[in-house]
Amino acid sequence: MTFEATGRSLADFTVELDVYSGPYEWLLALILKDELEIFEVPLRELVGLYAGSRDPEAPNALDRDTDFAGSAAALILLKSRTLSPATDPEADGEDAVAATPEELAERLQQYLKIRRAAEDLRDRFARAAGHHPSAHVVPPKPGRLRVAEDRVTLAARRTFSRLIEPPVAHLGPITVTVQELAGLIRAGLLRGPVSFEDLTRGMDRLRSAVAFAAALSLAQEGSVKLLQPEPLGALTLEPSEPSPR
Amino acid sequence: MTERAPAPEHLLEAVLLVSARPVPTADLASATGLPPDEVEAALANLAGRYSPGTSGVVLRAAAGGYLFSTNPACSAAVERFREEARPAPLSGAAHEVLACALYLGPLTRGAVSRVRGVNSDAVVRNLLERNLLAEIGADREAPGAPALLAVTDEFLAATDAASREDFPPLDALVSQEELDRVRERLTSAEEPQTGDSQTGDSQTGDSQTGEPQVEAPGSGAT
Repeated sequence: MTFEATGRSLADFTVELDVYSGPYEWLLALILKDELEIFEVPLRELVGLYAGSRDPEAPNALDRDTDFAGSAAALILLKSRTLSPATDPEADGEDAVAATPEELAERLQQYLKIRRAAEDLRDRFARAAGHHPSAHVVPPKPGRLRVAEDRVTLAARRTFSRLIEPPVAHLGPITVTVQELAGLIRAGLLRGPVSFEDLTRGMDRLRSAVAFAAALSLAQEGSVKLLQPEPLGALTLEPSEPSPR
Repeated sequence: MTERAPAPEHLLEAVLLVSARPVPTADLASATGLPPDEVEAALANLAGRYSPGTSGVVLRAAAGGYLFSTNPACSAAVERFREEARPAPLSGAAHEVLACALYLGPLTRGAVSRVRGVNSDAVVRNLLERNLLAEIGADREAPGAPALLAVTDEFLAATDAASREDFPPLDALVSQEELDRVRERLTSAEEPQTGDSQTGDSQTGDSQTGEPQVEAPGSGAT
């Protein structure tokens, strides 16, 4: 005897229920993912639909019947378990205390009223179901939008609060100026072109940065040429040609 | 040549035509510039003109305002024209959750579940998506400040109710006799000397005696 993989024998079984319409397998998936409450699924109607669509002559009829019986039994088990009151031994609070018959009666009476109200609502929904409102949807005016109190408070706090100034205590006093290093560059160029690397050798990062700013400043005023053959390559400074008199 | 000022009914018709939601009388008066009593009188005239027996469009008083809707008798034609099916009717569980929110609300999901006896989160989620329920605040006293649920204006419009007062009082839905019978069943079932197994199993009611059928909480669509 050999067994072959049966695959998804119920893949072509679709159902039409009030709460769902589509493939049966998707219905199972929705229930398992809690997207659809098991109480909303009428199991008796589901079985009736399957019985109505059943083809006993189909080659996989036995597989289909078996799969459906298995899944339907699981749904019944799931539904009955969910209906049973929770029996968590570690639960505390008032729900854990066994309800007296009086309390149970109160709850059941309350539920009976809600059940009747639900029936009344069902009739009301059914009576009003044929009304279709105007298709014109006017966008809400900004002034009539619902304003969340929390968001208004947050916006006001942001608007009226003073920005915190960043701490600068770790910064030392400024000891070098652009003019000072511009003079140093001019002096260096008296002997001819000089590389920026040679010019700033021995300087700290602050002085190197200010020296670069000074070189740019001199280049902008036309007293120095900056030569850099390739991007990020060596930078050479050379004096500009003296303007003809 | 001077243009004649439009009649109050015409002004109201125009405003109501472009609104998909119920428009309160005060908003109609504000939009049209008519005094409130004139708005009321014009609305009464329009209600006669736009009634199910005289027009394919009806004027409805719903959710604290007025709106134009199609006549339910013409709904099939409208649905064919729009090429859309009517939304699936709500389940029994959904009606129960809405009844909880309407009569006992605003209340939390947990309170709904306690009344129904089963977890109702999935149903609540579905009703929130359909705009029939809304979270209108939070229960600050409860741990975690869970959201409070209440029915919406869309719910009132969908049930053809002008306001919450249009619904019958909760206590009027079940007679005191029925309530007493439920209590009696439960309390008598606890007494061992009764020895009546049928009575002890009578939460689902005894249809042979014509007594009300009270299913276990949450068994809406079983």
